[in-house]
Amino acid sequence: MPAQPKGEAVALATTGAPRRTKRRLRASALVAATAAAVLALTACGGGSEAKSADGKVELRFAWWGGDKRAQVTQAAIAAFEAENPNIKIKPEYGDWSGYWDKLATQVAANDAPDIIQMDEKYITEYSTRGALLDLSKYKIDTSKLDAAALDAGKSEKGLTGIAAGINAATILANPAVFKAAGVALPDDKTWTWEDFERISAEVTAKSPKGTYGAAAYGTDEASLGVWLRQNGKSLYTDDGKLGFEPSDIAQWWSFLKELSEKKAVPSASEVVEAEAAPLDQSGLATGKNGLAFWWSNQLPALEKAAGGELQILRFPSKTGKAADAKLWYKASQFWSASSRTKHPEETAKFIDFLTNNVKAGEALLADRGVYPNSDVRDAIAPKLAKADVKVVTFIDQIKGELGDAPAAPPKGAGAIQEIVKRYTSEVLFNRLSTDEAGKKAVDEMKSAIS
Amino acid sequence: MSAIGELSTMTRRKGPMTKEEKKANGRDNKAAYIFLLPWLVGLVAITVGPMLMSLYLSFTDYNLLQPPEWVGLDNFVRMFGDARLHNSLRVTFTYVLVGVPLQLAVALLIALVLDKGLRGLPFYRSIFYLPSLLGGSVAVAILWKQIFGTTGLVNQVLAMVGIEGPGWISDPSTALGSIILLHVWTFGAPMIIFLAGLRQIPNMYYEAAEVDGATTLQRFWRITLPLLSPIIFFNLVLQIIGSFPSFTQAFIVSGGNGGPSDSTMFFTLYLYQKGFGQFDMGYASAMAWVLLVIIGVFTAINFIASKYWVFYDD
Repeated sequence: MPAQPKGEAVALATTGAPRRTKRRLRASALVAATAAAVLALTACGGGSEAKSADGKVELRFAWWGGDKRAQVTQAAIAAFEAENPNIKIKPEYGDWSGYWDKLATQVAANDAPDIIQMDEKYITEYSTRGALLDLSKYKIDTSKLDAAALDAGKSEKGLTGIAAGINAATILANPAVFKAAGVALPDDKTWTWEDFERISAEVTAKSPKGTYGAAAYGTDEASLGVWLRQNGKSLYTDDGKLGFEPSDIAQWWSFLKELSEKKAVPSASEVVEAEAAPLDQSGLATGKNGLAFWWSNQLPALEKAAGGELQILRFPSKTGKAADAKLWYKASQFWSASSRTKHPEETAKFIDFLTNNVKAGEALLADRGVYPNSDVRDAIAPKLAKADVKVVTFIDQIKGELGDAPAAPPKGAGAIQEIVKRYTSEVLFNRLSTDEAGKKAVDEMKSAIS
Repeated sequence: MSAIGELSTMTRRKGPMTKEEKKANGRDNKAAYIFLLPWLVGLVAITVGPMLMSLYLSFTDYNLLQPPEWVGLDNFVRMFGDARLHNSLRVTFTYVLVGVPLQLAVALLIALVLDKGLRGLPFYRSIFYLPSLLGGSVAVAILWKQIFGTTGLVNQVLAMVGIEGPGWISDPSTALGSIILLHVWTFGAPMIIFLAGLRQIPNMYYEAAEVDGATTLQRFWRITLPLLSPIIFFNLVLQIIGSFPSFTQAFIVSGGNGGPSDSTMFFTLYLYQKGFGQFDMGYASAMAWVLLVIIGVFTAINFIASKYWVFYDD
């Protein structure tokens, strides 16, 4: 029989190990442990060694984003290295979701990249915990930056981020879907949420099965932010608390359910599946959605994926007046630096280059949003591609309609999107009423940011 | 008697060793440890060290960015009030308690069929074993996602017969089931072990039973199952230990968020989210130790219960 009585196995393990060899065993284990410790130490040392063999300073630069962003960023790095032959920039880039897991681990391991592309959801988390460098102490020219963009990167720990671009929450439309359905594109200066519902439902009704007038909102907090602002509330308050009540978010979900029941947006299952899809397989890019919620800087990448033109629209409002859409300028991303960088001067030099040098602007164009430096913005204007021009024009057009700048997301805000997403699916699958979901979500959000 | 048994009798010595023998033995051991060194270094550096670290972290509030702060049992106390953690336990237990028996049943069934002396047995064995090699991989999880999507293969087939299937992966009521199915599909490893076990059952028992007029079913219940029970036990222990920490399938199929509505939020996935997504590494470490205890308890129960149903034929 294959099964062995246990006694035999034990006998096998212990025979030939008399006392003396046991002592040796202990000695060998000690050697092994020391070797392990030494190995571990050297491994750490190897990671943080920042000067390469030829005396160049090597800086690590991390960002999230797709292929297009990688290309333009590499071009900007090449331009910087040409001007600064003694500095070498090593890129590290990946997807949005993996990016934050990796960054948290790297910071914990004292192995953070020198230059970090930051998001407003996480900047407070990192800066209040002392992980980011106060850039105001180094030579970075911020005189040409738009005031609002500059303020967005300030925190109690100083200037811990410099805006890389300006963005706005938008609705993007795929005209091909509208044309196929024989529905006219909405006028975004006058449309209301009722129009949004009616038009979307009409597109769904007149389109082939599986195509919907609009993508569902509720997969992140940006669209919630717009809704709250239009109702006189906000995501966060200036003192870092939640700026709304359970009933406010419940109302937002009620309208989503209404949209879902009228088939203006995809079914619950399809919404869940769409969440996981990368940008180039999103419903808008594949022609399955007529309208969808995106940031303005994502238009060029989406157009490329869709293989056709897209149109930027303002959010609908309650009143039908563009000024009541309450949009705002958001810093699309920040350039931040690790507080533990061994080369703060060189790091600052690179961030200064990205912010103020026309050559960087010519490489990056509008991929990270509209350039916050007005000089660079003007200088690169003739070089912009058609899609980029659309984005820049839109950002210009809404300037007079903007609402107040929203409060910065507090520490812990990185968890909010996941909470919104989860309860949106609870609501769409009818597992919770909108009121229950509102209460539970707000409770969870409060404890996340407390 | 099997090979291991023979080996152990061969190495078992009578009487004390001579000096020379001891010396030679010591040299041998030294050589052995030198050869073991790479493994030992790995064990200490990437298993034992981090384990001790995580034990320490489980008693601290550690946000990854600042040094850990000692909080005693706080993390463990917090678990009692964490509804999402309770849900993740429910999901994980369902996965293990449904998935493992189901997988073993399928594995045994296929092993019984293959044991019938099929022509080209090695070929079939390999084919059936294949999913085991692939099942835990990211690639297969992605494939699974496609097959069970709203417009995936399964629903396309169902549509041919006029059934409109749900989004298997994206509907909270079927998502966990789809992942359990993926687990069942990787029945190859236990199947191979069953097959080896079946081969060990002496044919004379069956012949004797046949002479006495036992039916196929009787032979299965009265001969195969009891004689195979040590193997079933072995597989059960192994699979339960292996299934509790499952992570990859749920992570990939749900896109990393355990969705929809936490229906595939495995314990380990929640641990990962807490630690790396919410900067709560102290809590995550505490969760890891709770999982270790759970697995330990289940294994202990398994061993205790085995006295009542596992039959050793010797």
